Amino acid sequence: MDDVIIIGAGVVGCMTARELSRWNLKVAVLEAGSDVAEGASKANSAIVHAGFDAKPGTNKAKFNVLGNRMFENACKELKVPFRRNGSIVLAFGDEEVKGLEELVAKAEKNGVPVEIIGQEELRRREPNVSPDAVAALWAPTGGICCPYELTFRAAENAAANGVEFVFDARVAALKREGDAWRVECADGRVFSARAVVNCAGVHSDELNNLVSSVKYSIQPRRGEYLMLDRDEEASFSATMFQVPSKMGKGILVSPTVDGTVIVGPTAEDIPDKEDKATTYAGLEKVKAGARRTYPGLPLNKVITEFSGLRAHETTVGDFVLGEAPDAPGFFNALGVESPGLTSAPAIGAWLAERVAGSLDAMRKAATEISLDVGEWPETRKMSKADLAALMQKDPAFGRVICRCESISEGEIRAAIRCRVGARTLDGVKRRTRSGMGRCQGGFCTPKLIEILGEELGLRPEAFLASRKTAPAELREAAAASGAEEGTWDVAVVGAGPAGLAAAIAAREAGARKVVVLERDDAPGGILQQCIHNGFGLHRFKEELTGPEYAQRFADRARELKIPVRCGTMVMEIAPGAPHVVTTMSRRYGMNEVKAKAVVLAMGCRERPRGALMTPGTRPAGVYTAGTVQRLVNMDGIMPGKRVVILGSGDIGLIMARRLTFQGAKVLACVEIMKKSSGLMRNVVQCLQDYDIPLLLSHTVTDVEGGEHVTGVKVSRVDDNLRPIPGTEMHFDCDTLLLSCGLIPENELTKAAGVEMDPATRGPKVDAAMATSVPGIFAGGNVVRVYDLVDWVSRDSEIAGRSAAKYATDMH
Amino acid sequence: MQLTCINCPRGCELTVERNADGTVKVTGHACPRGEAYGIAEMTNPVRMVTGLVRVAGTRRPLPVKTRTAIPKGKIADVTNLLANTTVLPPKRIGDLIVPDACGTGVDVVATANCAV
Repeated sequence: MDDVIIIGAGVVGCMTARELSRWNLKVAVLEAGSDVAEGASKANSAIVHAGFDAKPGTNKAKFNVLGNRMFENACKELKVPFRRNGSIVLAFGDEEVKGLEELVAKAEKNGVPVEIIGQEELRRREPNVSPDAVAALWAPTGGICCPYELTFRAAENAAANGVEFVFDARVAALKREGDAWRVECADGRVFSARAVVNCAGVHSDELNNLVSSVKYSIQPRRGEYLMLDRDEEASFSATMFQVPSKMGKGILVSPTVDGTVIVGPTAEDIPDKEDKATTYAGLEKVKAGARRTYPGLPLNKVITEFSGLRAHETTVGDFVLGEAPDAPGFFNALGVESPGLTSAPAIGAWLAERVAGSLDAMRKAATEISLDVGEWPETRKMSKADLAALMQKDPAFGRVICRCESISEGEIRAAIRCRVGARTLDGVKRRTRSGMGRCQGGFCTPKLIEILGEELGLRPEAFLASRKTAPAELREAAAASGAEEGTWDVAVVGAGPAGLAAAIAAREAGARKVVVLERDDAPGGILQQCIHNGFGLHRFKEELTGPEYAQRFADRARELKIPVRCGTMVMEIAPGAPHVVTTMSRRYGMNEVKAKAVVLAMGCRERPRGALMTPGTRPAGVYTAGTVQRLVNMDGIMPGKRVVILGSGDIGLIMARRLTFQGAKVLACVEIMKKSSGLMRNVVQCLQDYDIPLLLSHTVTDVEGGEHVTGVKVSRVDDNLRPIPGTEMHFDCDTLLLSCGLIPENELTKAAGVEMDPATRGPKVDAAMATSVPGIFAGGNVVRVYDLVDWVSRDSEIAGRSAAKYATDMH
Repeated sequence: MQLTCINCPRGCELTVERNADGTVKVTGHACPRGEAYGIAEMTNPVRMVTGLVRVAGTRRPLPVKTRTAIPKGKIADVTNLLANTTVLPPKRIGDLIVPDACGTGVDVVATANCAV
């Protein structure tokens, strides 16, 4: 159980989390999206308002002015940009000059310094301003910032102080249970805490209304924006407002901390809380409104348009802050629309005091509080000398990925590796600016997905399904490794056909929690590279290729919502009740997976050259058949043009045909025994069909070549398999393929204390595929090398069902 | 004619003879698929062809197959065609890659998924 759960990782949630991390409290942040700042915090005007137009006496006025005062220091601590560029409100005509005077009166009541300036002074300061602006209000305390950087660094600092961030966790139910709140997520995860802080933005009314009789209603109010490319000439020094209306502060034109120009927003009440589309009419309004301020608005400099949703509360029209009167331990930060960003530091500090106070918490000593915000070197801000030194230390900072914004590979990797790391294209973009420039990701996207894939152990294309939602594999893995993971019914080691079949069978036999651990970056195992046909005749009554066969199982596992954790290597299985499986992955580091039953499905590996004791030099160009199968079929690399195959195992025969298809000349297949070790049908359809000689009772007696294979010597053998002198043949070749059998892969099995069968080199199993260790089962080529994948999946299903029964009997 | 059936790992040894009336007699098979294979080998031997085509923008190839078996004499033509074929992602299992490959009347289709 946590002390505090904050719902929502926007700027208010993250600033509150950061403040609460300075108390001796266990704090978690639950976020429905895949990243921080996914709501209004990523799409707003980025203005730190002076506070002259908030209605005096309201929460909005109080927290705006307080937040404005705190902002500079907060940005300094979090190492994010902030500039007090001042705000200007323009008056067009006498009627609006009266509006300015009203603002002056409000400003005085709110304690905000302002002054009225005339047209001449205005034009002097802002040469691009419209000549129709006759007077203006000048508020020197107005500023600009980067809202998502602020949010992200606040989250980093909170995480550095022990706050846990849980993403893709949409809260579906809230219940008071004794002294605690039970928080249920839509995906079934359950959390509990002594206090809950509602920072859920446009959804904050729904959460409040679940627990309190004091009802609120949030009306999403959409604002559309245009962003203009950098141009010193075509910008403003201050943030340019127009006299506000009751719908908001009107269309503003403002420089940003990044040097671009932001124009907008509209204010439109819409029914859908997720509708962040821009509209033709809205953008026309933005242009028309902006032209009042800036007649020369250079539309050819627009680099993007976007919209955001303000959480407008309709009952009281103000921020609703603090503990709900009839729900003890439930705190609101509800209806936080503009000036919410400005107010965030103040709201965070104020709420944290209240929450910590209600829990009788102690403040941490200053020495216990980490100031770390996880920053990394930003190459575009560095001097040439510093940059040169950095590149020497880490060359990744010398490889520019985003040319528009000059962002290096080093920065992108850092943005993924940090505590609250990016898991999406948008996440990388907001942390680094990569893709935010004038080409808007046109050049860098392919490189970004490659780096994301490498860092997070997935295929690059996984990051193209959505810009903002993390790939399903990551969400499932995170959900599975979440705070309350508990014990799995069945953990399956390996996601090849054996592992997937076992997991599916276990699930279908009634095991509720089944997880598959896979070291490769995709499920399917060796079938991914077996692109030939001949699989599935018994099971599916049709002839499938390897990838097709594997996909059917992967699809079924997905239908059953069985998490397959790819990029996850099992290090050790410690038998017990439950068994403890130690895993290692790039994304999640070392992890312990507890499971009542374990199914071993690690498959097999090829006998390498050394095991064959082939004489000769040790040049490049000698491969096992499976290695070449992967190179050719998955990586698109042909290792050679003239090939000799030693051994007539099925993979070697299949590769003889494949290499022929791909344009190589296969000179011979050499087999020491009197008959082929592969299936006769493969001898027929892979060798005979293409006139490739099969030399039975022959073996390779010398491998020639220094750097690379240049040829092999082949001799006939006698009945004792000894080479007969004088029978040597020579083949000029650049590649020698070894296909001399498969060995079950059982290092984990042996280390777990499972009794082995010396004949099969796999574990001893009974009819239920149970090994000698209670609760550990095995299926597929890890048990013995099969001829047919249909028998692998059949026997693995037995192992899966047995594991499910073992796990459910334990209940 | 003596043949090894290639339909399944059992690999039945078939004897195939042409009768006086032109029909083909197969013996030694354990199932109807073996008989059909024997007749086809005598009259019009056919094979499934699996292979790889290039995918624009990546070195990783896409595996493909002929939807049904094609005449043996056409295999080299089809593998040459595949060697010179580049497709645009995305592709799903079963997507058409080449219609009517080399006049066989048989389509080449994708056997794996590839994303953009």
